[in-house]
Amino acid sequence: MSQLFLQAQNLNIWNGENGTPMLWIKILFGLALGVGLIFALMAAPTQTRRPVVAFVTFIAGLFYVLYFFWPRPIDRQPGELPNDFVETVSFYIDDAFGVVTDFTAILSGFLLGLGIYSLLHVHVKRIVKTSQNWFFSVVLLVSMFTMTIVGYWDWITRRGEAGASLDDPANWTTVNRMKDLMFDGMLQAMDAAMFSVIAFYILSAAYRAFRVRSVEATILLATALIVILSLMGAVEYLWNGMVDNITGGDAGSVMNNLKLTEISKWLRDTVQQAAIRGIDFGVGIGALAMGLRLWLSLERGTGGGN
Amino acid sequence: MSLGEKLMSIPKWVLYLILIVIASVPLFIKIPVPNTPLEPAIDLYGTLMNIPEGSTVLIASDWTKSTRGESNGHFDSLMKILMRRNIKACIYSSGDPQAPQVARDAIGVLNMERKAKGQKTYDRWNDWITVGYFPNAEACANAIANNVRVAFGGKTDYSPDGSSRDVFQSPVLKDIRKVSDFKLMMVITASKTSNITIERVYGKGVDLAMMVTGVMGPESLPYYSSGQVKGLAVGLKGVYDMEQMLEGGITPAMSSKWGTVPGFPGEANIGNGTRYYPTLHFCLALLILAVIVGNVGMALSRKKAA
Amino acid sequence: MDFYTKVKLAIGVVATIGLYTVLYRENKFYRFVEHVFLGLASGWALVTLWTETLKEKWWDRMVGTVAANGDPGIPGYWAFVLLLPIGLMGYFVFSRKHNWLSRVPIGIILGLWSGQQVQVWFNRYGPQMRDSMRPILPTSTESIFVPSAPIAPENATPDQLTQVAAEAARINANVYPTEALTNLVYVFTLLAVLSYFLFSFEIKGRMLRGMTTSGRWLLMIGFGAIFGSTVMMRFTLLIDRMYFIWIEFLKQGLLGG
Repeated sequence: MSQLFLQAQNLNIWNGENGTPMLWIKILFGLALGVGLIFALMAAPTQTRRPVVAFVTFIAGLFYVLYFFWPRPIDRQPGELPNDFVETVSFYIDDAFGVVTDFTAILSGFLLGLGIYSLLHVHVKRIVKTSQNWFFSVVLLVSMFTMTIVGYWDWITRRGEAGASLDDPANWTTVNRMKDLMFDGMLQAMDAAMFSVIAFYILSAAYRAFRVRSVEATILLATALIVILSLMGAVEYLWNGMVDNITGGDAGSVMNNLKLTEISKWLRDTVQQAAIRGIDFGVGIGALAMGLRLWLSLERGTGGGN
Repeated sequence: MSLGEKLMSIPKWVLYLILIVIASVPLFIKIPVPNTPLEPAIDLYGTLMNIPEGSTVLIASDWTKSTRGESNGHFDSLMKILMRRNIKACIYSSGDPQAPQVARDAIGVLNMERKAKGQKTYDRWNDWITVGYFPNAEACANAIANNVRVAFGGKTDYSPDGSSRDVFQSPVLKDIRKVSDFKLMMVITASKTSNITIERVYGKGVDLAMMVTGVMGPESLPYYSSGQVKGLAVGLKGVYDMEQMLEGGITPAMSSKWGTVPGFPGEANIGNGTRYYPTLHFCLALLILAVIVGNVGMALSRKKAA
Repeated sequence: MDFYTKVKLAIGVVATIGLYTVLYRENKFYRFVEHVFLGLASGWALVTLWTETLKEKWWDRMVGTVAANGDPGIPGYWAFVLLLPIGLMGYFVFSRKHNWLSRVPIGIILGLWSGQQVQVWFNRYGPQMRDSMRPILPTSTESIFVPSAPIAPENATPDQLTQVAAEAARINANVYPTEALTNLVYVFTLLAVLSYFLFSFEIKGRMLRGMTTSGRWLLMIGFGAIFGSTVMMRFTLLIDRMYFIWIEFLKQGLLGG
């Protein structure tokens, strides 16, 4: 079992040479095991569902908890063997770490398809039933499939011998230009435009809602004003210049504390940071508590219940 | 309609039109704006300028063109320093699937500038590599903190002969065994990947630094204050600070801690910061005016009602 | 600028203006551009799902690679195939009878996330808690304000450098009254904001109520700062789009300026 996580180069029961029939047989065997597991779980009694989910959640979390609390190997050399049980476990956790971390990335990758599936489901249904605005669903699906095909095609061209030369646009073929047009010319531009629309809403909201109606609103407004003014280098220069006129350029004068740079710095380092830190600590404690509850399946809604 | 009510009922489209004009016209005029770089940005520049030449930094490039205004400026100012000081870079992304391509494109643009000036280009494989996108930011940061070789294991990039090779064969990563072998880990992001990196990589022997958008700025400042990051550039102000220091360096008047740190006078230091910062002044002034007009309108209406 | 680049910029500008039309009112052009955007984003996510993640992290690990170009090949580990049916269990969310199976892969991911929280919490907040414990009582009253060094380091002669450094160290080691006051404000702000979030029991007593009220006000300072930074970012994004339309496309693209 330890050979699995050691990712050893020598051949053993857990691996096989690339392209060999033996490896493919093992892969098919593994796939059959996995499918069998699904069928077994589908046939499992209702009362075992919650324990199954709680168990996998606990084991998954236990790995990182052990990684944090178990003594780490000190100055481990390649090929070094463990001396005792504690070192054996620490070596095992160390070797398994990279593999387990990959499990998260891989599973997340597979689950990304859920979103794509939902999108397809909604829009294909709209087209089939010719619901209102079904034309836009056609537009979405055409864009999606075109981007997918062109994206993969472009990727394939870059994997060959010409891969590095395609960094230079002068060497681009039609498919490379199509992908650049769709990705850089359209997708990126639209992404940026979507984000920038919020600026208009902020201005409108500030005009309509940012009113001095209460103590809290006044404090918020005043602080926002000071921060905004401190972001304006020209205003800072003029304000500081006024203070310099008062102090006569004396660097040691107490009045220098009235400079906009000093006021905003004090506000930022003393009050703003402390306030945000307070919020952070509160959120952090909540996240820690939530993490523990999720790990131990104490949170309502976790587990296998419907 | 009284004056107060008129002031409070300016149509939305009028506000939007004014904002579009204010955000567009100053772009055609070169307006030099005085500026005092903030301490976190000064520390960032000083840290970057103290990295030994020939060493390797790890860059988490988690931005796309949706935040081009700020993040592109951050990335460009970082890469200009690395290119000019012959520091190698390993780039990965965990925030957005579009991010690796955007980073490659940005380096391509900088290389074209260098080529036009007759300077040596920053070559893929020998000077920089990209290890691609990792869908799970937590898992990726964990893997990097534990074992970089396993985290990036199996990743390939294009060598000069066009073939796709294991990234650890590259001069950029061949001497990297663990994360502390990187001289610096830089996170350029518009999302929470900065927090995720601090949570998992801090304390593993590598210095951290961040370049974040304005939204992430306030919650990133506590990390700078507690020494978890060596330097921090926030938003467009941070971009402008970096561009100023690229041109003029750090002087003892700016920072007693760093003394004199040279810049790169006469090089292509102008970027998004210099282009956009003057225009930002006008937009912020419009916002302040809108808030004042709204509040004056409210005050006048209340006075009339009373 | 070549023709292809001009066409690319033109398409980007049309798409940007299309999305901006929603500011006036909802319209069909906006809906069209919006759906194109969603389609492209989904398509790109599908491409990167394989090319950036599954191919190298899963497929190559499962089937192995051959030695080539000086890179050692790796054997394939068949057990990685088990991740496929586990991942596919997530799709049972659409099944009425067996949707509980979708909680297995989600449970694994949540378990892995929650197991990390202990380490994450200490890494993230440990140094910040240490930094928050600041001295609130002055240790020196030789000066109300922090004294500046008698000789600025950049003006010191080589003989004076040691003396300057020692003086700077002495100043840094002390806490002066203004520093202590600043630290007091800091600590009070932190505690007041934390006390605002005490919802587990009824807040009785004038002192605690005063504390939570102050916490609410001090929170507003934090929010004001967050608002200011957010405004900077959003306006910058808009300025960038205006630069794209007016300068990159119109001036440099069409007018060749």
